[in-house]
Formats: sequence, C-alpha cells, structure tokens
Amino acid sequence: MEPIVIAKNLTKSYTKGLRALDNVSLTVNQGKVLVVMGPSGSGKSTLIRTFNGLETFDRGELSILGIKVNSTPDERKIQKIRRRVGMVFQQFNLFPHLSILENITLAPVHVQKRRQIEAEEYGMFLLSQMGIDSHAKKYPSQLSGGEQQRVAIARALALKPELLLFDEPTSALDPERINEVLDAMRRLAEQGMTMVVVTHEIGFAKDVSDQVLFMDSGKVIETSPPSIFFSNARHERSRKFLNQLDNH
Amino acid sequence: MFKINISSIIFSLKNLKKTLFSNLFNTIISLLIILFISKACFNTFEWLIFKADWKVVTTNLPLYAFGSFPPNEQWRPATWIISLLLLSILTLCGPEWKWLRKNLLKVWVGTIPIGLYLLYGGIGLSPIMSRHLGGLTLTILLTICSSFLSLPFGIVLALCRQSSLPFVEKLSSIYIDVMRSIPLIAVLFFGQLLIPLFLPVGIEIDRVWRAIFAFSLFVSAYIAEDIRGGLQSIPNTQIEAANSLGLNQYQIIQFILIPQAIRIALPALTNQSIGLFQNTSLMAILGLVELLGIGRSILANPEFIGQYIEVYVWLASVYWMVCTIMAVLARNLEQKMTINQANF
Repeated sequence: MEPIVIAKNLTKSYTKGLRALDNVSLTVNQGKVLVVMGPSGSGKSTLIRTFNGLETFDRGELSILGIKVNSTPDERKIQKIRRRVGMVFQQFNLFPHLSILENITLAPVHVQKRRQIEAEEYGMFLLSQMGIDSHAKKYPSQLSGGEQQRVAIARALALKPELLLFDEPTSALDPERINEVLDAMRRLAEQGMTMVVVTHEIGFAKDVSDQVLFMDSGKVIETSPPSIFFSNARHERSRKFLNQLDNH
Repeated sequence: MFKINISSIIFSLKNLKKTLFSNLFNTIISLLIILFISKACFNTFEWLIFKADWKVVTTNLPLYAFGSFPPNEQWRPATWIISLLLLSILTLCGPEWKWLRKNLLKVWVGTIPIGLYLLYGGIGLSPIMSRHLGGLTLTILLTICSSFLSLPFGIVLALCRQSSLPFVEKLSSIYIDVMRSIPLIAVLFFGQLLIPLFLPVGIEIDRVWRAIFAFSLFVSAYIAEDIRGGLQSIPNTQIEAANSLGLNQYQIIQFILIPQAIRIALPALTNQSIGLFQNTSLMAILGLVELLGIGRSILANPEFIGQYIEVYVWLASVYWMVCTIMAVLARNLEQKMTINQANF
C-alpha cells in the first residue's frame, strides 16, 4: 500500500513561543480515511493546511503523494501538490460571483487546461452525484449551507484529486443539514478516496475512518483505530475530550 | 410601484393641518413660506414660458449637439448618439433574452470603436479633424474614452498598491497621492500646455486626446482607491480557496479578485464617471468647444448677446438629463450584478 501522506516531526511555532504543531508524525495510506479530532486551538486545522501548502512549518519532513515539502516552501512543488489534492473548508469558500457550474469548472479549465465542454460535462456528473445538478445555473448565495458544502466537495473533486482534505466541513451547518454532507463524504470513502478529515462528528468517525488521530495543544496524543479510540481510548486526555463531546 | 391611496392622502392632509397650522404663530409662518414658494414657482414658470426667448436654443440645436462638425456629415455623430440612447433604452427595458443580456456588455464596449470610426472617419468615410468635434458629441467622447482608459489603469494601480514589492507599491502610492492632491484643472492645463513640450519632435497628440489622457491620468488615481477598497473587502478565504485549487497568482487576480472588487466598487465607480462627465466642462476654459464651450461661443455671437440665463438653463438641463441616464444605467447594472450574491 502506497503512503499518500507522510509527516515526520512537523513543528510550527508562532511568535511568543506558542506551538501550533509540536513534533507531529503521521502516515496516511492510499484509500484510507484519517479523522483528526481535538479541542479548538489544538492545531488540527494548521496540520491539514500544511498538507497543501496553505500553512508553512518550521521543522520536520513532509511528503505528499511522493512530493517532498521543506520548511522553505518551493512554489512550483506546492502548485504540483495542489493540483492533485482537493480541499473543503468550514465556510465553503465558494466564489460568490460565479455560478455553481462555473465554480466547479474554473480550476479544470484554467489549471488543467481541459476543454470547457469536457469540464462542464464532468462538472454536471459530479453535481448529479452530489444530488444538486438542478442548481447548476444558480449562484452560491441562492443555496442552503448543506448544498453549498456539497458544491464545494464537487469543486474539490473536479481536479480528480488523489487526496481530499476536509477542514471541519460540517461545523458551519444547521444540524439537519449535516447528514447530507456526511453522506456524500461516506460515498467518497466507499469509492476508495484517500481522505484526511478534521471533524467532531463521532458517528462519521466511527463508521468511516480507519484511524483517529487525537491532538491537543499541537501534540499528537494518540492515534488509534476508531473501535479502540471510542470505546477504550488509551489516553486520559482523549477520554476526557470524548466525555465532553458526549455530554454536549 | 407607487399606489395612490386615497385614505392615506386624507390622513396626511389632516396631519399637515396639525403640524403647520396648530397655532396662530405657526399659521402665520406657514402662510408666509407658502406665499414665498408659490411666488417663486410662479415667477420661474412665467419666465420659462413667456419671458425667456428660446430662439437662442432652438436655432442652434445642431451646434449644441455636434459643434462645428461639417453639416453634411452630421448624420455620423447623430447615429452614434442615437445608438447610445437606443442601447440605454434596450438595456433598461429590453427583453430578458439570455443571449441579449450576455452580449450587452460587449455591445457597449463596441460602441467606442464604432463611435471613433464614425467621428474621425477613415475607410469609406471622409476624415474629420479633431478641431471640428464639439458640443454634446465631444462631451460624450471625452467621458467615454476617459472612463474606458482610466478603468484598466486604475485597476493596475490598485493592484500595484497592494503589491509585495516595495518599489512597485511605493511608486503607485506616490502616483495616487500626488494625483489626488492636485486639482483637476491643473492636470488639464498640464495636458494641454506641457505634454506637447515633453513629446519628441514630430510626435503630436491633438488637443482632444491630450484632454482624454489628462482626464484618464487624474481619474485613474481615484478609481484605484475605489478598487483598492473593493480588493480589501474580499475575505482572505477566497484566496485560500483559489490557492487550494491550484490557481496561480495571476489567475487569482483575473478570475477571483478583480471581478469581485469591481462589483463591490461599482457604486463608487458610477460616482467617478458621473463626476467625470460633469468635469469635462472644465475643458471649455482650455479652449475645447464641448457642450459648455459651445454655449459660451454662442453667447459671444452678437445676435444672442445677454441671453445667459436661457443658455445656461438649457445646458444645465442637458447635463442633468445625461447624468440621470448614466445613474439609472449604473443602478440597473448594480442590481444585475448583486442579485447573484445576496448574502455576500
């Protein structure tokens, strides 16, 4: 099995000595789903944002899809990675001035230089997979949060990525809308997509993930399969966090 | 849109009685003011209809419209102005066909080369010198060409001001600050008197184009600031999303930043172009016979001497009309562009 993400001792500190990442090491193999959990400010988002170059790190080694990234970012390498890695954000971050279909075809046409018609056909295919092909001509603001997030997933898929990053994809949604997005992510996992998901959705993590990585103040506290993590977490800190999520 | 509701009129009349005529003192004041206003209105209308001699306007209509454009060629500017007017009407109340709406902006941009061809002539049309341009035609030409040139220049300046290269950033900041601290009339003087001195021998730009360049240099500094405001209000997450899709810096500027910045800056840009239209009248002082200039030269004609009020009332109403059309068009454009991003 081919490793897609290999991180070794990633460390990033902000001024004032605050550590966002503290010796983080992990491996994600092809076709696997890694769920990253942890209290807010624990460095989860920072971690997955280093995977496509949105954040830099100070020390450590990182290899994404076999491309090595240093602490001094090489713009060409990062562009190469971004073409093969999709990302879905908490706040959707759709382009408000473009229609749904234009949001999806923008990168295939201008980054991968595919033909407009071909990109539109594939975009419509992705939208129908997400169950929102009837909205193709609308604009982001005319859609509900759940629909916008599914568009964002389709936009990330349009580049046919080999790795998908999700940064709290359901945290900005109404409770009733969360499942439609999680279902779409479940289907992707079933199709064998490699994914790294920052989320607090325990149900999703239990059903879909292969590994759960728990972080606190920049450190990896534990990495366990979900069956162990949710029933019998090894670390006291993880159990405390899970208790609090349950009481919520 | 405005439904007249009889009961609400009666109510407001009652209200009026309460507010304006509640006691003796208020009644006297109200009556005095009403008397004054009605006298003023009466005098104005009396002057407009009976006393004013509109011959100074009616006999010179072609002059106001086309200046000293050769009479047998005046169909050319007339075609241009009428097509601009028809296009405005089409934009405002035309049918909502998709292909029409999609291409309307291109048609608007297309009126510029067509207008230049009609005015200056060339292939198939007899060439006309710049000095024959005048009146409303020249005013519109100055406005349209200057705004069209200053928009891209302003965008480039705004982008440079946000640049991470300190030299580029400083240079554009200095340019913008200098232009904003010089009065427009000084820039126009510079354009008319100094540009010819600086140009190498043999190269000559005629007065109309010197004015257009001077206006563009001036207005682009203001446009740059409007666009910069638009750029700054685009959330950083938009750039992150574009980055994560692998778009490079130039593609982000072209597809994400500029379209959104222009949408946000649109009301301010409208202001600039209406201001520009009115400011073209400054060229009358510098010897171009645009709308105001032609008015002044008509007043210099012994036949119409002393009829200042008629001419200036007429000119004011023409300026008012064109500005209103521009404002309505801009509002229409704003509505069309913001409809798609209600909660942006």
